[in-house]
Amino acid sequence: MRLEGEKTFDAPRDTVWRVLNSPEAMAKTMPGVESFDIQDEQHWTANVKIPLGLGGLKMKIRMEKTDEREPEFATLNARGEGVGAIMNMSTAFELSENGPGSTSMKWTADVSIAGPVGSMGQRVLQPIVNQQVGNVLASLEQQVEAAK
Amino acid sequence: MTETLSPAQPLVVEEGEEQRGFAGTNVPRKEDKRLVQGQGVYFDDVKRHGMGYAHFVRSPYAHANITSIDVSKAEALEGVYGTLIGEEVAALTDPFFQLATPPGAHIKDYALAVGKVRHVGEPVAIVVAATRELARDAADLVEVDYEPLGAVTDARRALDPETPVLHEEAGSNLSWEGVYEWGDVEGAFAEADHVVKISELHFDRFNSTPLECDGAVVEYNRGTGQWTIHTNNQFPGFAAIMMGPAMRTGLDKLRFVTQDIGGGFGNKITSHPQLVACCLLARKLHRPINWTEWRTEFHLTMSHGNERWFLDTEVAVKADGTLLGFRTKALDDAGAFLRYEPLGGVIWAQVTPGCYRWRNVRLDFTQVVTNKAPCSPNRGYSRMQHLWFTERMIDIVAHELGLDPVEVRKKNYVKAEEMPYTTPNGCVYDSGDYARMLDVALELIGYEGLAERRADAESRGKLFGFGIGSTLDSGTNNFGQSRLINPELQFSGNNEVATVKLDIFGEIVVTLGTTPQGQSHETTAAIVVADILGVTPDDVNVRAGHDTYWNSHAGFSGTYASQFAVTGLGAVKGAAEKLAGEIKKLGSVILGCPESELELADGFVRMKANAEAALPLMACGAIINANNAGLPEDLDVTLNARYVYRPPFELPDVERKYGNLTLTYAAQVHAALVEVDPETGVYEIVQYAAIDDCGKRIHPQIVEGQVMGATAHALGAATHETFTYDAEGNLLTPNFYDYHVPHAMDMPPLKTGYIESPSPFTALGTKGMGEGGGAGIHAVCAALQDALAPRGRPVVYDSCNPYHRVWELLQDPEASRRRVEVISK
Repeated sequence: MRLEGEKTFDAPRDTVWRVLNSPEAMAKTMPGVESFDIQDEQHWTANVKIPLGLGGLKMKIRMEKTDEREPEFATLNARGEGVGAIMNMSTAFELSENGPGSTSMKWTADVSIAGPVGSMGQRVLQPIVNQQVGNVLASLEQQVEAAK
Repeated sequence: MTETLSPAQPLVVEEGEEQRGFAGTNVPRKEDKRLVQGQGVYFDDVKRHGMGYAHFVRSPYAHANITSIDVSKAEALEGVYGTLIGEEVAALTDPFFQLATPPGAHIKDYALAVGKVRHVGEPVAIVVAATRELARDAADLVEVDYEPLGAVTDARRALDPETPVLHEEAGSNLSWEGVYEWGDVEGAFAEADHVVKISELHFDRFNSTPLECDGAVVEYNRGTGQWTIHTNNQFPGFAAIMMGPAMRTGLDKLRFVTQDIGGGFGNKITSHPQLVACCLLARKLHRPINWTEWRTEFHLTMSHGNERWFLDTEVAVKADGTLLGFRTKALDDAGAFLRYEPLGGVIWAQVTPGCYRWRNVRLDFTQVVTNKAPCSPNRGYSRMQHLWFTERMIDIVAHELGLDPVEVRKKNYVKAEEMPYTTPNGCVYDSGDYARMLDVALELIGYEGLAERRADAESRGKLFGFGIGSTLDSGTNNFGQSRLINPELQFSGNNEVATVKLDIFGEIVVTLGTTPQGQSHETTAAIVVADILGVTPDDVNVRAGHDTYWNSHAGFSGTYASQFAVTGLGAVKGAAEKLAGEIKKLGSVILGCPESELELADGFVRMKANAEAALPLMACGAIINANNAGLPEDLDVTLNARYVYRPPFELPDVERKYGNLTLTYAAQVHAALVEVDPETGVYEIVQYAAIDDCGKRIHPQIVEGQVMGATAHALGAATHETFTYDAEGNLLTPNFYDYHVPHAMDMPPLKTGYIESPSPFTALGTKGMGEGGGAGIHAVCAALQDALAPRGRPVVYDSCNPYHRVWELLQDPEASRRRVEVISK
């Protein structure tokens, strides 16, 4: 399933870039993070518990930054494995300056979920994913505020 | 609510002949007592000391390379006995024999995925543990790394150059293709007044819902090198010839045992890969292995029915509604592996013209593999798709040309006086009277009063529709038809075995090669034996199930493809008559009279002229088995009669694709009335009639049960049952929540009726009849098309019409109408 959107931050582009590229800050935006490891600048691992209604789905997610053009563009691949589900996600974001102190972020995410959870299909997963994306963007805003 | 209509003259009896014996009467089923008391023995009831429980680790991906499998964590868990992975399978076995010619012949199919997975749920490893639950938990500890690949889930895209290829060895996703053409197709279209073109029709993917899922308990005897496989596989003859060569062993090392089986419907024909995996594990781990499939696994991976597209169809019609012929391109989606395929590529040809007299047919058949569960036979296998298509052509032609679907059928049905009727491709319809069946259906459905019902429905704001489905259940395969798929195959004809013996205390014991799954073989075999030996069915003990050790089986033994009433009962009749002959031979020695003066009746062999001169069967059994001193040396009597029934078949002509492919043709005519809510597309089947003709009925109630079950099955397929995949190959309907099978409350008011047209080609006048549900799928489609006609005349183009699809037809009738075009001269 493909998701995309645009979000505006009341912060300079450099600040937003810094937050988006800080594993520690990003960890605070992800849903249900239980632990977080940084292997190197390009590779992070997170153990998360994604709320799925029927109970949390525990997943080990490996993230790899695959492309970046500071301070405006980056792509990230994430691959999560848990009992009953395997998630693959590739995301990209593009930052542009709206003017002094304002940055807009265009983002896309391609998410595929395999396994029995995937069989529930988009009609079930889409609202859950939308809700999680909303949460992530809200916490991202908080992280950006904190970094100003 | 059900009710049965009996014809005025239920049985055709020659004048002066009286109906005697048990055939045709509803004696109590021999199986029922143990089944209703919970005393049946299914494979899962077989327990063995130290038995391990197997659980399959399955692929979450539709298409992926396997980069590594690590079973160490699972094996380290206490209570886990061991594991099996694809690499071991590839070392210990050969790929299963493929029935296809190249490119399908190049496909490598093993018991577990080797190097690559090709559908969601494909088994990649097995964990065996002390309990079922532990095995399931431990399976989660097996670490498999995948490298996902693109998937193909739409057969229409399978051969596109950019589409990923499932089996690199095959070079493309094509598994088999062939062109069938009979009669003068060009001539028919030249002669036609109208040509009706239908660009695309689609028969959906679904399967059956046996109460018992697949499974086995497998033991390995190290001393003899032999496996005993307690299983519910329904075609041990086929499983054996698939398993033996793959396991590099003779068939003498494979003993199949069944007793009770909770339904099969063809879906349990292709469990041989799982059985091989269990055999390997039993040998590797030195312990018996239980594999019991979970319901989700059944939905996800076992035996879906073939999905089929009919593309660029053209129908040649005369102005008066006479059908001259048709041409089409059938595109069949076999799923990821060819487990019984590509036999579906020829099985449909058993019923090439459906119930109709058209003589000019061309069908280009293409079968492809896709990243979905492998297909296997499913009640009505491959004919159901074709018959639905045939019926759809009839109704679309009628609607587009403004003809009455009833009249078009009656005009074009093969007529009773034309029986036996040779079809354009050389099949011989043995007997039947389709027009009369339609009349019975119309009477039961209340055809005369349809106008009032329609007006009443419309007064309540509902759209009202009436539809017919008329189909054939071709039974008793000539396996020679496999040569139309692959001329190299060395299969032809058919056979089944029965042994009937008379034991020391007069016990009559029948053993069969069949694997009944609810078809009441014990009851019907006992009826046939009782009538021949002059005893009652209670006196006859028919051994339950199948055991290779009984030596009562042959190459095609099993229960599948609508044939027991012909092959099974034919064998039973042959063996019982052989035994009756031996009893008379012995009687003539003991009673001192010619055999011709003897009869079997009331449990005796006795003189026809003098019932006092009689020898009880018990005495016959005792004399031959335990008291035989002084008998004439040349008396060739064992009272243990084995008979192999072999139907009268010839090899088909491979070049012309011509010949008799099945021995019998049972017929079904179903009629449905629907009421549709025009706002929502929700509809209800408000009345239903199912008429069946399966020739002589040995046990009418059992036939009735099959008719009702098949009807429920059809209505499920017509309304809700569909395996839907997303573009990535996830099955979106892998459970009963999303895959809705009809409940009792979903069944419409059902009336059943019958006629009997005895088959002239079978020993008892019977016909196979277990697969006659296809008529219902079409009856619903036709009723919907009739109901929706006032709303822009949409064309029903799919075999499965859930409410949302009906709503779509209501919202945008033009979209469906673009599929149809009429060219008139």
